[in-house]
Amino acid sequence: MRRLLCAALLALPLPSMAGVGAVVSDHILPAHAGFAAATEELVTASAACQRPQMQAGYHAAFDAWMGVSHIQFGPIEAEGLSLAIAFWPDPKNQTEKALGRLIAAEDPAVNDPAEFAEVSVAAQGLMALESLLYGARDETPYTCALAQAIARHLAQSAARLEAAWRERHAALLMHPGPENDIYTSQTEVQRVLYTALSTGLEFLHDQRLGRPLGTYERPRPTRAEARRSARSLRNITLNLQALQAFATALAGQQDMPKSRAAFAEAIARAESLDDPALHGVADPAARLRAEVLQQGVAAVQRAVAEEIGAGLGVRAGFNALDGD
Amino acid sequence: MPNRRSFLAGLLASGMTAELSWADAGGPSHLAAAMRPDGRYVLAGLRPGGELAFTQPLPGRGHAAVAHPTRPEAVAFARRPGTYALVLDCVSGRVLQELSAPAGHHFYGHGTFSQDGTRLLTTENHVASGQGRIGIWARDDGYARVGAMPSGGIGPHEMLRLPARSLLAVANGGILTRPETGREKLNLATMRPNLTLMRDDGEIIDQVALPEALHLSSLRHIAGFTDGRVACGFQWEGDPFDSPALVGLYKDGALRLLDSPPEATRRLAAYVGSVAALPDGRIAATSPRGGVVQIFDPTLGFLSQSPQADICGVAASGGAGLATDGLGGVHHVGKRLTRIGQHDLAFDNHLVAI
Repeated sequence: MRRLLCAALLALPLPSMAGVGAVVSDHILPAHAGFAAATEELVTASAACQRPQMQAGYHAAFDAWMGVSHIQFGPIEAEGLSLAIAFWPDPKNQTEKALGRLIAAEDPAVNDPAEFAEVSVAAQGLMALESLLYGARDETPYTCALAQAIARHLAQSAARLEAAWRERHAALLMHPGPENDIYTSQTEVQRVLYTALSTGLEFLHDQRLGRPLGTYERPRPTRAEARRSARSLRNITLNLQALQAFATALAGQQDMPKSRAAFAEAIARAESLDDPALHGVADPAARLRAEVLQQGVAAVQRAVAEEIGAGLGVRAGFNALDGD
Repeated sequence: MPNRRSFLAGLLASGMTAELSWADAGGPSHLAAAMRPDGRYVLAGLRPGGELAFTQPLPGRGHAAVAHPTRPEAVAFARRPGTYALVLDCVSGRVLQELSAPAGHHFYGHGTFSQDGTRLLTTENHVASGQGRIGIWARDDGYARVGAMPSGGIGPHEMLRLPARSLLAVANGGILTRPETGREKLNLATMRPNLTLMRDDGEIIDQVALPEALHLSSLRHIAGFTDGRVACGFQWEGDPFDSPALVGLYKDGALRLLDSPPEATRRLAAYVGSVAALPDGRIAATSPRGGVVQIFDPTLGFLSQSPQADICGVAASGGAGLATDGLGGVHHVGKRLTRIGQHDLAFDNHLVAI
């Protein structure tokens, strides 16, 4: 059986380096440029401290983040910026606690980007900004300065990521070899890209959907991502679309009919859900549709593993799944 | 024309006890259990440069091995909760002895030899009481079971010798399991892991734990420095996004976690699979779930990390470290991770230095 399976896997064509080139030039670079531009606009939108403009800027920046949030390797990992951009899941409400501490002390770090970079990461990113723009807290000159500091920090982080990809990491990814500091072989590059795809899908399934779904007996609607700004479902839809684009670029010339169909089905289910903050998970009738969406994501995970992962020789982790 | 190896194997088979050393097994510096592409299991010997010194067949999936300090003899454990272990002659591949856990006990997959190599010690579960035991086996008496002593807690996992202090260190993971429910964790609400230091006769010299608030952090893997400090790797049983730092150090009678930024901690996916005490004083910790190896300074805490899919085995080697992954890679752990070998094997959880 195992032999048969191996033979079947060998027959699949490998995604070529052309796939890697497309991932970089059609997906990673434009998505990072988009995130940098959207966060720069957020800074502008925050200048006058008018809540409606800031909320619009926040949504646009979060939309753009959904285009890159699955790229968790390379510069974002090297610079440790992921949590500083979006601190979620946050089971201990660390964002609220960190914001509370800053506000109570009127910490002057908000006036200096270098000092603000040293405050708790839970207070630095999109989730902290959401709390300020949609929470019940009183608006004061200090909370305004804090929101502006967050906007600046986001713009700075996005610009650093964009520059790191454009100036150095894109070339590293496209030209693996013994001289390359990070990627020594084409196989390694393809595994890293595939891992980003499968990890992104897993995060979508287990966290973005799995956290609020909880169990039938104990649904957890307050665990939905960005629920106060009512964009939990929007994040899921945009995340699915980004992963679809990423998978398509990665597959290159290789057809992936099952993955294509599974992505289309899952996106259609997300678009028809009509439950922006996923409140429905606590309602037995509405819950079913969120569960069906989650099953749709699971179908994408299986299709992608079969059509892309298997061709790369990436099997489920021998050690990662063992547990010890 | 018989070669040296088959000649020596013949000697062994005929009962002559030539004084064989690890050099006769191809000069391995480390051992790891592994799976071949055809699905069969082996115990592999690795040289410091990442080459294979030998592979010898195992009847099922292995876990960790224990190397005899001088003789080319290894004890390979089944993965937990197994009840058998094999003593392998790493020169001939011959099974010298099959060890069965005594009735009502099972192995946890780790153990160690006494300093002089005469006793094998194994971490075990006494099923009826749920208490951890250290089994004692007499190597020179055909690995006869000669006794057992309490491990100092529930769920003893990795254990090792601290040569500088002639003590044994035992990671009592704190998690109760029973054979009939496999790996199901039965006592998460009340688990209380600890690190226990004991003399060879079982007298407990010190026992340390993290603060009560961190009782869900299961201590499972440890590595000793030559000065008696112990590097500790934890697995967090709570919400993975609420995980505390997972690498600690036992020093001067106290156990503390090493500082790690939340970003780095999250990267471990609540799971450290192995730790190594590196000769330069740093600590390496692997997470196959996070696909990463992290390096810590015992004072400063987290220093750096290198991504590597399914990496788990890690051990000190020469002046640095050696690591293995489930995709067949062997890596030098220096300032960064450098691949030095690639084999058609899936290396299992642990890499042990001989």
